[in-house]
Order: sequence, then C-alpha cells, then structure tokens
Amino acid sequence: MTTVALPSKKPALRTPGFLAWLAFLALCILIGLVSAYQVLSQGLAITNMSNTVPWGLWITIDLSAIALGAGAFTLSAIVYLLRLKRFRPIVRLAVYVGFVGYTTALLTLVMDIGRPDRFWHPWVYWNVHSVLWEITWCITLYLIIMVIEFMPVVTELPFFDRWPRLRVFAHTLHKLAPALALIGLGISLLHQSSLGATYGILRSRPIWFKPSMPIMFILSAVAVGPAVAMAVAFITEWSTKRKTVPHDVLRAIARFSGFGLLAYAYIKFWDLAAVTYYGRSPQVNQGFAMLNEQTPYGFGFWVVEVIIGIAIPAIFFLSSRFNRQPVYLVVGALCAMIGIVASRWNVTVSGLTVPLAYSPGVLYQAAPGSYAPSLAEWGVALGVIGYALLMLTLGLRFLPLFNGAPSEESKS
Amino acid sequence: MSQKKQRITLELTRRDFLVLGGTAAGSVVAAQVLTTGVLSPFSGLKQRQVTGDEAPEKASSDYHWGMVINLEKCIGCEYCQRACSATNDVASDKPWNIVVEDELDNGHGFFFSRPCLQCQDAPCVEVCPVQATYHREDGLVVMDYDRCIGCRYCEVACPYDARKFNWAERTDTNAYIPTWGIAEVPRRPRGVVEKCTFCIHRIDAGLANGLMPGVDREATPACVNACPVGARLFGNLKDPNSKVSQAIANNPTLRLREELGTEPSVYYIPPKKEA
Repeated sequence: MTTVALPSKKPALRTPGFLAWLAFLALCILIGLVSAYQVLSQGLAITNMSNTVPWGLWITIDLSAIALGAGAFTLSAIVYLLRLKRFRPIVRLAVYVGFVGYTTALLTLVMDIGRPDRFWHPWVYWNVHSVLWEITWCITLYLIIMVIEFMPVVTELPFFDRWPRLRVFAHTLHKLAPALALIGLGISLLHQSSLGATYGILRSRPIWFKPSMPIMFILSAVAVGPAVAMAVAFITEWSTKRKTVPHDVLRAIARFSGFGLLAYAYIKFWDLAAVTYYGRSPQVNQGFAMLNEQTPYGFGFWVVEVIIGIAIPAIFFLSSRFNRQPVYLVVGALCAMIGIVASRWNVTVSGLTVPLAYSPGVLYQAAPGSYAPSLAEWGVALGVIGYALLMLTLGLRFLPLFNGAPSEESKS
Repeated sequence: MSQKKQRITLELTRRDFLVLGGTAAGSVVAAQVLTTGVLSPFSGLKQRQVTGDEAPEKASSDYHWGMVINLEKCIGCEYCQRACSATNDVASDKPWNIVVEDELDNGHGFFFSRPCLQCQDAPCVEVCPVQATYHREDGLVVMDYDRCIGCRYCEVACPYDARKFNWAERTDTNAYIPTWGIAEVPRRPRGVVEKCTFCIHRIDAGLANGLMPGVDREATPACVNACPVGARLFGNLKDPNSKVSQAIANNPTLRLREELGTEPSVYYIPPKKEA
C-alpha cells in the first residue's frame, strides 16, 4: 500500500469520443442548472408535486442513488471485516461509486426540500423519534466515513507531491479501514433500511404500512449496489482498453448480487403473499384494486420490478452460461438498476395515489393522487444524473482507483 | 510445522472474533447507556415528546384544548371554512378546514367537516426530522414556521390530510377578507408546511387577558364562532364542566380513525341513522 505505482501512461484526454461524452454531460448539467435556477427562484410550484402527492421523481432519485451506492459498505465489509482479500481491487471503486451516489442524493434532496437554506436544521434541531432525522444523520456520517476511506486515494495524486505529510496522514487514516468498515456497516444497515421504514411506519397508508418495507429496501440495496461497481469496472475497461479489476473477482461479485437478488425476491414474494392474500385487509385490497384500475401498477411491478429487475439479472449473474461473458453481467447490472429505480418509484408514487379515508361516512375520501413529473423536475433529474456521470468519468480518469491493491492478493 | 502455523491462524481468528464480539457488546452497552441510561442526552425526551422549553409560559397543563363537532347539527354552510380562511389568511385552494358531503351506509346524507384534529399521539410530530412541529402542554400541535425545512414528511404521514404545503410565495387576494373576518396572523412563507392551529393566537391572548377559550368569543377559534347552528363546541377537555366535556359526557361520540391510536382532540357526535 505504501509504494504506489502511478500509471506511467496517462490516458488520452482528447479523443473525439471522450470529448463528445464530456460535451453531452456538460449539456445535461447545463439543463440541470437552468432547471434548478427556475425551481429556486419560483419555488416548488413549478413541479407537478401536489398536496396529495408531495413526493415524486426527486425522492425516487434520492432513494435509488443511495441504494445503488450500497456497494461501498457491502464490499468494504466483505474485504475488511470478512477478510476476503480477493475483493480488495474493487473496494476503492465501490467506495467512489458510493460517494458519487450519496452526493447525488444530497444534491437532489436539497432541491426537493422547500427551504434549501435550512438544509442544516436536522443537524442542529434534533427529533430523535423521526426516522427521517436518523436517515439524515446516518447519511451525513456515512459520507464522512467514505471521505476518510477515500483520502489515501486522493492524496496519491501527483498534485499532492508537495504535501508529503498530508499523504502520510491519509495513509495512517487508512489503517483505520477495518474500524471504518465496521462503523460504515452499522450505519448503512440502519439508514438503507430506514429509507424503507420511512414508508413502512406510516400507519395511515394502507399499502405502505408493513414491516417488510425496510427489509426489502436493504436487501435490494445490498444485492444491486455491488453489481453497480462491477458494471462500472467493466465499462471502464471497455472504454479505456485497460485492465481494471480481475474478471474472476467481478464474476464473483455478480454471483453475490445474484444470490442477493434471490433473497430479495424471496422476501418480496412473501410480502406479496402476506399483504395481498393471507393477511389481506379490505383497505389494502381496495388500494391495490384502485392502483390496478387507474395506473399501470401491475405492469410496473411484474414486468419492470420482477422480470427486468430481478429475474433477468439473477439469471445472467448466476447461470455460468451467461456470467462468463462480461456483456451479460453489465446488461444484468443495468437491468437490476432499472429494477431498483422502478421499485422506489412504485413505492413512493403508488402509496400516495391511494387516497386517505377518514370520514365516518362511506362516500367521502380524499382525492386520489395523480402525478407525472414536470419539465423542471426532469431537468433537475437530468442535471444530477449528469453530475453523477461526470464525477464517475473524472474519477475514473484521474484517480488511482485500480492501483491500490497489489495484484498478488487478488489471485489468492 | 504446518500444524503449528494453522494453530496460530486459529488463535488469531479467535482473537479477532473476541475483539469483534467485544466491540459489538460494548456498542450495545454504550447504546443502552446513551439512549435510556443516566448519560443519555435524550432522557428528557420520552414518549410523549413534550418540549416544555419551547412551550410559551402561558400554555399550562391545566388545559387540554378540544373540539366537539356535531354532525347531526351541521348544515354544510361552509361558514367555518370561510371564517377560518379569513382569520388565518389561508389560500382558497388548500383550506385548513374542510366541509364535504357524505352519507352513512344506509344512504342517510350528512355533512362532514374537519379541522386539524390536534392528535395527542400525532404522526406528524413523530416524523418531523427537526421538531418544527411539536406538542404544547395544552394539547395543541403547533408549527414553527421558522424551523420547518419543507420536506413534507408530515404531510405524507398525516392520516387526515390536514397539512398543506406552500408551493409558491402567496400573491393572491383573499376573497373572504373582510366579509368573513380579517387576517389575524401573517401569511406563511414559501416552502413550509402549514396547518390549522385552533386559532392559537386567540387562545394565548385570551388567557393572558383573563378570558376563557370556548366561552368568550375573543378567545375562541373562528370556526366555532362562525357556526350558525352551534355544531362546533370548543373548550378545555380537562375541565369536566366545560361545554366540550359536557357534550362528550352526554352524547355518543367518535373520533376519526381511532384504530390508528392517534388520540385526536376532536370528538364527533355522529349523525343519527334515519330511515
């Protein structure tokens, strides 16, 4: 770890393809900035969110970005706590992907709250009973942990040659890696599931209120997070034509994700069976009947969440016929990512679409929600996705993400 | 030789196991001490989450403000909604008070109205990440508009749809002013959630001037004053002789979605089932 070989040949920066990619990202970010300015100057009124559906696309992006960043804590725990050292070559990348995911989520969250100028309030004014307060704290702490975990990588840049002490300090910090992995694991187990609990604890919302919600959130995050890091490694390899992480390691990660997806599918199946069949209640039945009548809920659930999001990636990751070819692993990871986004969207928007009923009479209930994101919402979404891709691109270009681990370790 | 090596490895893992186990056990103990033990910074904040330091001094636990709404009497005139909208300067598209038509399962029609129910176990208070909404000792669920970050979790959590978000800066003219009253509180800024307060400004000012909310009109919520048929009663639930306590004692009452355990401070006298 102490002697680090920097890449002798810098990758070409001015190839037309790379410049076009950068230009595309710049365009996305520009659209995002224009939309963000509109939102900040005119308020959330220009979104299509309403008092019946107060959460929408942006919350979906928050939840998805954090779930997709779960590879950071999962792989850190695998390497530093379970001591499976062959996975070491991907830890830096996974932590970086996690960092990008979490900062993306925070950016979106700042746009989503009504008073961005008060983003710091949860740190000062505590409500220890609020699951959202716990999430805010965990995300902040975990972001700090990722920065500490990542400092040695940043200080390896030639830029830091002038401050050798900083580099030594960062490497001393790195000795804390197992402790950080342990704390990171604990914090992640808390907030990744609490994101589901955000919905699962609300007694008044029939199709949300169930204890399986946090379990499904964390299982899906643990399953898909590492697969995202795996896919990024492959895509980097294809675009730079340089070796990144040994393929047997990437395949092992894919298999881990495959089993994770099966575990997720198992809980999801029991959740479905318990909620809609064995333990069904009139309110829940009415809720689902309404969703199936008025929205493409069944399609979103069965086709996008289950078939695209779970079945296809699980087959690609686990069947040896497919998982020896990187292209299937990458396609599988993309499918699993689509599944995550779809499940977060389905949870958020469907739960808010089912109307509240509280009158002692039989006729009146609050209006059912309906929601499709507005142009400004799509614009901001495009901007934050552009930010995430730009961060990934620049990080993969300039940071020594794959030089950290001696290659002998990976062969053991 | 190899056996010896293996033993060393074994001992190492055992030590690691002990260290890990010790850390875990230590964390559990630390968590216990910090959350429920003597060292806990949260020990003052138990279950009910009464934040005494934030409650104004005039709000005292001698009171628990409650409302009784007689659905048998309500004629659906919407005066309560209008008076509320004028007094609290509420936007017309997101009223704090709603009045709607409804019917019983036997087809008998009635009018249903709903302010904020001021739950004693309020989901909105539970979920707010910054304690921008909290309980006063007199039972009111209050908003601190200077603290709210506008995350809208309370709006999602409220079972009664009683919370509304300010999506934009208000520029509308309130059509109910001055016919139904004048604005007694400022408009809420863009980006915060607002809700019915039981006209808290009247309660506090009234008590300070020796008036009794629910008895003296100046200290009573606007919706209660405006009702032409006396379908709404207001008063102190802790006083057995108050109008609300008497109404609850002498009538069958229900509270909305009692099964959720939210303990609302608003009681309803249900409409009689007529053939």
